[in-house]
Amino acid sequence: MENENMNKITINIGPVHPSTHGVLKFVVEIDQDTIKKVEPEIGFVHRGVEKMAEMKYFNSFMPIADKLDYISALNWEVLYATTIENALGITVPPRAVYIRTLMCEMQRMMSHLLFLAHVGEDLGNTTLFMWGFRERELLMDLTEEVSGGRLAPMYVSIGGLYYDLPEGFSEKLLSTLSVIESKVKNEYRAMSYENGLFKMRTVGVGIISREQILKYGITGPNIRASGIKRDLRKDEPYLAYDKIDFDVVTEKAGDAYARFMVRVNEILESIRMIRQVIKDMPTGDVKVKVPWIFKIPPKYTFVRQETPRGEAAMYLVTNDDQKPYRLKIRAPSFYTLQAVKELFVGSKVADLVAILGSLDPVPGEIDR
Amino acid sequence: MIYDFFYGVLNAHFSSLLSGIGAWFIVFMIGGLITINVPIFLGWVDRKLSGRIQARYGPVYTGPFGLLQNVADVIKLMGKRFITNQVIDPLIYNIVPIAIAMLGFLMVFIIPWGNAGLTLLFIPYNLLFIYIALAVSPLLVLLAGWGENNKYAMLGGFRGAAQITTYELSLLIVFISVAMLAGSYDISTIVSAQSGMWYVVYLPITLVVFGISSLAVIERGPFDIPEATQELQAGWKIEYSGIRYGLFFIAEYVRLLVISMLIVYLFFGGWNGPLLPDYAWFWIKTIIVTFFMMSLRWVFNRPRIDQLIKIGFNWLLPLAVINLLIVGAVIFF
Repeated sequence: MENENMNKITINIGPVHPSTHGVLKFVVEIDQDTIKKVEPEIGFVHRGVEKMAEMKYFNSFMPIADKLDYISALNWEVLYATTIENALGITVPPRAVYIRTLMCEMQRMMSHLLFLAHVGEDLGNTTLFMWGFRERELLMDLTEEVSGGRLAPMYVSIGGLYYDLPEGFSEKLLSTLSVIESKVKNEYRAMSYENGLFKMRTVGVGIISREQILKYGITGPNIRASGIKRDLRKDEPYLAYDKIDFDVVTEKAGDAYARFMVRVNEILESIRMIRQVIKDMPTGDVKVKVPWIFKIPPKYTFVRQETPRGEAAMYLVTNDDQKPYRLKIRAPSFYTLQAVKELFVGSKVADLVAILGSLDPVPGEIDR
Repeated sequence: MIYDFFYGVLNAHFSSLLSGIGAWFIVFMIGGLITINVPIFLGWVDRKLSGRIQARYGPVYTGPFGLLQNVADVIKLMGKRFITNQVIDPLIYNIVPIAIAMLGFLMVFIIPWGNAGLTLLFIPYNLLFIYIALAVSPLLVLLAGWGENNKYAMLGGFRGAAQITTYELSLLIVFISVAMLAGSYDISTIVSAQSGMWYVVYLPITLVVFGISSLAVIERGPFDIPEATQELQAGWKIEYSGIRYGLFFIAEYVRLLVISMLIVYLFFGGWNGPLLPDYAWFWIKTIIVTFFMMSLRWVFNRPRIDQLIKIGFNWLLPLAVINLLIVGAVIFF
């Protein structure tokens, strides 16, 4: 017994660690280099967002919805705006719907490019890290041109959008898309997914099984990598997703490499979708008038959408007041992170980093 | 033999004891200057090269093309306050960086700098001496990991010791095969033995084995597993700061340069070449090899420690041994 304890070391990975994607902490028990037990500790960026929502007018919550998942702010903006619109019973003009679809897909590409960058960084390849940021920067500039913001754009408003797209935007976007497409298909292939050392580190590492998916409620690209064809954009189409043609990307293996490949292919799929959206973009107004302060009659509203990290949902309870009675937020990363207790055990310390990177958690969203 | 040159110059005016001391002093100063300036210049090259690969600029503001950036960094490192953990083992903690920098200094001292005559001190078995200077490092890494009294440092120290001892074996066998072919452990003899044909033609597999093992032994990326930033924060270097940390850079870049020079000496014919003077040929080859060895870090990601050791024992060591046997058989018959 004594000997057993001698071999075990408990180390704290995080909250300040180069590869915990923000402020996550893992208390890890290791035997030599093998992980025996993991306990994730969350809550370092807990801001009480759900309680904050109860104290604010419906419109004033939008900047906070932006900062839930700071990597995919626009998706959350759209989700929150859709929730309030459904509660109010407003229909958004078709042009606004199309622009929202476009921005959602742009945000998905940005998020996935950041994911590719971070996986590269976690495996020790800083070049992939810089390249991921380089391509993301192109889209960030476009977001800035549209909304004035980069990380937290504040572009979507309740009832539509704050502004229409600027002139010449679609041409710029199309040329940017072809740049990104060629980089992902060529440079990234050589650096990551066709690279022997990269495959050595990711193939067969951190396999998520079907049971674990059901047990922990994992969603999004992480389950599509395990061969489950589930995507809310296809299954329960919202925005303009039923009008455009796209495939749900799946992989069979369920390991870190498959999760990487799903994101790579989703970037390419998003490029295809954006091209269609730009082609079919209707003309017209981008918003319906909604007063700044309004009341919503007592009712329950539930909306769920596919963010880059999985299925995000908002459950709104209103009480004929200017503020929500309760706003429950389902953050997909939170459910994914619970699976690490099983995924990390038995792997090496180096694999912890690779698996965590391939799950793509965002602490801002987990802690809320 | 720069020592002999200065000894001769001084001996014309002073007694042999005084001129011996004076020549030693001058040679030490030259060696020290080279040792300090290699990381400063090579570090700048590394930064610029990684910047170009990663679509950045690298240093630009300090000096022309940012050339003085590393000088500024050295000054900053020297000016830093000495901060450390309270539970360290002070003796080991302070000795390791100095010892590691001294190993770099030793290699600078022994290796020829582009010509048979351009060595600071002539030792007949200089290849073996360089191997020894490379081979001491697992002990130092392990000591550092232990002396810092930190969990990350200890993991890094153990990883480092395991990795370096694995790859040293193949490195030694590579040295032996080349020395057998040339019939000497002296670098200038090995180079003159290649005047007809470079050894890379006879020993291409040995070159690959040498390239991989040497990168693993000097812990240069992609094999910087003992100090993996993303896993162990800084591995066995975690508690070091200030100039103690700076001394590790001396070791890193001097050893990188020495490895590149050795590749040129052992496989690419050293200073042999037509038309141009011999040192020019040597430095052209060395620059190309150094750039290649440097850029590997920025192209590949890091393997896992168990995978690296598996590669070392399952592939590189048998390959090196088979090559050695072939070389032996060829020489024997």
